[in-house]
Amino acid sequence: MGYSMTVTDNVFENLRLELRRGCLTLAVLAQLRQEHYGYTLRKALAERGLEIDESTLYPLLRRLEAQGLLASEWREEDKRNKRFYHLSGDGQRIFGQLIEEWQAINASINSIL
Amino acid sequence: MDLLDRYLQAVKKHLPWKRQDDIIAELRANLEAQLEDKEAALGRPLTQGEAEDWLRQIGAPIQVAARYLPQQYLIGPALFPTYWFVLRLAFMWSMIIYAILSAVLIATQTPNGNAFLEAMLRVPVILMQVAAWVTLIFAVIEFAAVHYPEKCPTIAGVAADWSPATLPPLEKEDAAGKKPRSFAHAVAEVVFGFLFLIWLLLIPHYPYLLLGPGAFYLHGSPFQLAHFWVAFYWAVVGLNVLQLAWRTVNLARGAWQKSRHMEHILMSALGLIPLGLLLTVRDQIFVTLAHPALDQARYGGTVDALNKLIHMSALIVCAIAVLSLAWEIVQMRVDAYRKRVAATL
Repeated sequence: MGYSMTVTDNVFENLRLELRRGCLTLAVLAQLRQEHYGYTLRKALAERGLEIDESTLYPLLRRLEAQGLLASEWREEDKRNKRFYHLSGDGQRIFGQLIEEWQAINASINSIL
Repeated sequence: MDLLDRYLQAVKKHLPWKRQDDIIAELRANLEAQLEDKEAALGRPLTQGEAEDWLRQIGAPIQVAARYLPQQYLIGPALFPTYWFVLRLAFMWSMIIYAILSAVLIATQTPNGNAFLEAMLRVPVILMQVAAWVTLIFAVIEFAAVHYPEKCPTIAGVAADWSPATLPPLEKEDAAGKKPRSFAHAVAEVVFGFLFLIWLLLIPHYPYLLLGPGAFYLHGSPFQLAHFWVAFYWAVVGLNVLQLAWRTVNLARGAWQKSRHMEHILMSALGLIPLGLLLTVRDQIFVTLAHPALDQARYGGTVDALNKLIHMSALIVCAIAVLSLAWEIVQMRVDAYRKRVAATL
């Protein structure tokens, strides 16, 4: 019984992470329409109910920048150098497409449910 | 904060040197801002225990650093199904070729006592070498596909050229309730078939492989096997070679799941040849005296009784084999009739 519960829990956890992965990217892109550095972005997302681990969010920002969706610059704020991110031109265009896709999927899922 | 510095230093060690300073500077800025928030909320610096809990929650340095690295595969998911397919084929063919070479070498060279054992012990080494070479080749292909995608666009193209028209025809279903033979089962049959053939070819040189300790008693006894057994032995070898060739060709053609009724009946029919030879032995002499002039008086009666016993046993075995073959033919015809009837319904 305990074994099957563990397997079920693992299956759920894997599916949940898979479901979350794409949503996190969308949420980060949406939040970065306004400029943020890593920590304030994390706080802003958490305030809207989307908690993301540091070890997930910060590398994700790097990947999105490498893909050309984000632009960044180092700037001093509160006597500390910080790296600020915002949506790039390509990022804005792709974000618009992703939002359309998201809304279509969301509408389909809602109608199925 | 000493602990945070130590933590960042540990993360840095696992990052690529080109980007490590930049990544650590950003991570430091984020973590220090987070730390300030925590301390402002508490109204005091974090204790050692609280700082340890916080860093533990962020994750082990090696795991945090790993998140900044690109996902790397020795053989990626796009290439892996092809790799697995080729590896299985390479295993199968290397074993078949090795078994044939070993059988030929053992049969033609001056045999020594450990030839068979040595051939068996080399099998794991050969399999590991085959696996290593196939893996190395596919790792190079993966590397090229990842680092030079413009020059290797056909990695995904293996599947892009695929057409439904190239699908093999539908395989015949096995008898109801029976699972079709798996690929592993078919390969095992061929490999063990070769091993059996090697064993068979070794028997003339090492009779104890067949008779066990009885071979030494026979050697020292006044009896010897009649020359007829040579013809019988080669008929059995020929039958095994034919069966093995049939199965190997089936495997190579990818037809190992097909119905084996015909193969079974043909082999049973051909199996009657060596049994038939037993019945045609002149004067029913299967065993003779090694020194008739010396031993005729003492063992002559025993040899006659032994020959009659072998002849009688051969008759019984032949009768059973013929009946079994007849039963199989009837069964096959009944199955064929049932299928015809089912097809018309």
